[in-house]
Amino acid sequence: MIIYLRAGGQLREKLKPDVDHYTRKVEIDGEKTIAEILKDISVDSAFVALIHVDGKLKDLSFKPSDGQTITLQPPVSGG
Amino acid sequence: MSLSKSEIERYQRQLLVDGWDQERLKSARVLIVGVGGLGGISATYLAAAGVGHLRICDSDSVEQSNLNRQILFTAEDIGKPKAALVARRLSAQNPEIEIEAISNKLTEANVSGLASGCDLIIDGLDNHSDRLKLNKASFDLNIPFVYGAINEWLGQLSLFNPPQSACLACLMPEELPSLKPTPVFGALPGVIGSLQATLALRYLLTGENPVSNALLIFRADSMTFETVTFERRPGCGVCGESCR
Ligand SMILES: [Zn+2]
Repeated sequence: MIIYLRAGGQLREKLKPDVDHYTRKVEIDGEKTIAEILKDISVDSAFVALIHVDGKLKDLSFKPSDGQTITLQPPVSGG
Repeated sequence: MSLSKSEIERYQRQLLVDGWDQERLKSARVLIVGVGGLGGISATYLAAAGVGHLRICDSDSVEQSNLNRQILFTAEDIGKPKAALVARRLSAQNPEIEIEAISNKLTEANVSGLASGCDLIIDGLDNHSDRLKLNKASFDLNIPFVYGAINEWLGQLSLFNPPQSACLACLMPEELPSLKPTPVFGALPGVIGSLQATLALRYLLTGENPVSNALLIFRADSMTFETVTFERRPGCGVCGESCR
């Protein structure tokens, strides 16, 4: 199945977007957690501060379904 | 707490706002920790609105690299302590209110003392670990906490008022890796600081929390706002089941 990972900030470059400036399309075999997907594409989950899908907070154990867009929020800590 | 003739004249335009209660603001005490990009803006609007007592805490002095975003300061202020400068500047803007300037660094040992007696805490900090200290004091002392943070093109904010809502540690319990220095341009803390001030004033006036268990995210590159909802984590080390 295909899922879409979307990231901004410092995380965007690590994600290597290929759909648009922020989004990477990832093909996965069967059910996988976000943690497993990030490992497969060599993105360090330490740089993911928050994960959200359709306006709801998720965590690294979340298993996306086909066609879903998952937003990976980088650390936002300045002031 | 009644209003003087001069106060009625000063605040006449906001007295026209539906639901406004100037006397309630006049009796409010607010702690603002950090008066840089975010806190300088929220402090300015709270002072102008007539929040009766502001306690301003910042241990930093002005640096030249602050001046792209910390618009309360001028080139002549470089090297001077921020808390005292902001107190002087805002007292000149609104002499009707009391402003306390504290130039101490926030620590686990002094955070409760700083927040004690306040109705609201506003975050103007520049790092997540100090925000977690404020969050803990907010829960322990039952004082609502207006959170805000920025990075590059992203800004986010919320209002945590435990035990009614979840807390910052439910959302991000750990230290966050961060780029030093943080990429930031001035208008973004201007937007987020203004939203924090709006949220704070709304809360002080009505007791309402329109972002309870929700994080409001502003994406300045696409000019979009997103709301992410979340729940209290039963295992939260601050407000979870074992802490109540
Ligand atoms: Zn919590």
